[in-house]
Order: sequence, then C-alpha cells, then structure tokens
Amino acid sequence: MSLATALFLAFFGTAAIWFGVVVFRTHSMVRSAIALLFSQTAIGAMFLVMQAEFLGVLQIMMMATEMSVMAIFMVMFMMDPGGMGKMDMTHQKRLSLWAGGIGLVAALVVIWTAGWQGPVPDVPGADEQARLLGRELLGRSMFIFESAALMILTAMIAATMVAIAPQEKDSQ
Amino acid sequence: MIPELMIALSVGAALFGVGLYGALSQTNLVMIIMGVELILAAALLNLVAFWRYLHPDVTAAKMFVLIVMAVMAVEMAVGFGIAIARFRSRGSVEMEEARELRG
Repeated sequence: MSLATALFLAFFGTAAIWFGVVVFRTHSMVRSAIALLFSQTAIGAMFLVMQAEFLGVLQIMMMATEMSVMAIFMVMFMMDPGGMGKMDMTHQKRLSLWAGGIGLVAALVVIWTAGWQGPVPDVPGADEQARLLGRELLGRSMFIFESAALMILTAMIAATMVAIAPQEKDSQ
Repeated sequence: MIPELMIALSVGAALFGVGLYGALSQTNLVMIIMGVELILAAALLNLVAFWRYLHPDVTAAKMFVLIVMAVMAVEMAVGFGIAIARFRSRGSVEMEEARELRG
C-alpha cells in the first residue's frame, strides 16, 4: 500500500463528497452548479491519483464544460437563481434521506464485507494505456464505440426536436 | 484487503447516497439532473477503482467508463431539452407542477 496514494484518495474523496453535499445545501442555484463542478473535478483528480490519466483529464474537461452549461440553464430557468429569496425547492425530505441513507449503508456493507485481496498489480504507463485503449476502441469494442456515437447523435436530434418551439399554425 | 480500493469505493458509496437524496428530494428538474449526475459519477469512480486495483490489464473496463460518460452527456442533453419544452409551455421547470404527466 502506498500511503501517499491513500492520503490523496482520501483528501480528494472528502472534497468530492463535501461539494456533493453543498450542491443540495445551498440556496443559490449557480453555487450548486459550481459545487457540482468542484465535486466532479475532485473525482477527476482521484482518477489521476489512480493512474488513469486519460480518463482523469477527460472527466475534468468534460465536467467543466457540462457544469458551465448547467449554470447558464440555472440562470435562465430558475425563479431565484441567486438564492436571495431563500426559496425551499425540496419535497419528501424524510423519504429521500432514508433512501439515500439506506443506499449508502447497503453499499458500504457490500464493500467492507466483500474481502477483495491484494496484491495490487502494476499499471502500464500513461502512453501504453492510451495505446491499449486506442486498440480496444478500434478493435474488439468498436461496435460498442460506434453504438455510443449513434446514441449521442440520436440524443442530439431528440433534444433539439423536443426543445424547438412549435410553429404557429396558419389560420387561413 | 486493499485500502486504496476501500477508500475509493467508500467515496463512491457516499456520492451515490448523496445523489440519491438529491434526485428524490429536489422539485426542480435541473436539480434532479444534478442528483443523477452525482449517482453516475459514483459509478464512474467504482469502475476506475476496480480497473486500477483488481484488473489493470483489462482495457475494456475503460471502455465501460467512456460509455458511462457518454450516458451522462446524453442524459443532460435530453433533460435540458425537456426542461426547455416544459419552460416554454408552462413557464416553470418545477416537477411539483407536472402532475398532468401521470396520465
């Protein structure tokens, strides 16, 4: 076990959880989006600590743009995006707390009783990982990769069609 | 036991719990999407941790991570498309007011 790795994982993990909680604690919706960005960035940093460099950088870049878009939507759609009016936008709090708590405890029980054993194998270097991933994407997993591309294209068309304003019918 | 794996998975479990709470407790569509994003981020973290500490030789695990990232992007795009349509027709994205969707 590397003490430094464990410490960095714990640090970024605590940051990710803390900012995840802040997302639902603050009254300002813009602050919520920024807190979610920090939470996702901390997860990206955990990927980097776990030597998944490509995925870590991808996670940070993708979430930075995604959360910026989300913050813009917040300002556009919210009645009180700055949280000045302290509006309560929650419901069924007790049920949600129970569901979240039960989910957390169940996952922790599974994790701590599963008994995964070492030793931890070595990881190839970042350049070798990128080469292997490229071969995987354009080899054995090519069909899945292309299906993901098709899924994104379908979602883009569907989202645009749903969002387009209905045209006024000509009355004549 | 592999301590680093335990830390990463425990963080994933906590993020899942927080995300589930958020997705169930919020009334605003955009905030519900944020809760789902946290749940998917927890799944991503678990996948990377399993890849790193159990099977770093299996590159298909990273492929799985890329698919989950694509699902996150798709979920947000379609969610915001619905939010725009809803805001245009009702002037609000509060899900408390969407009871007519019950059918």
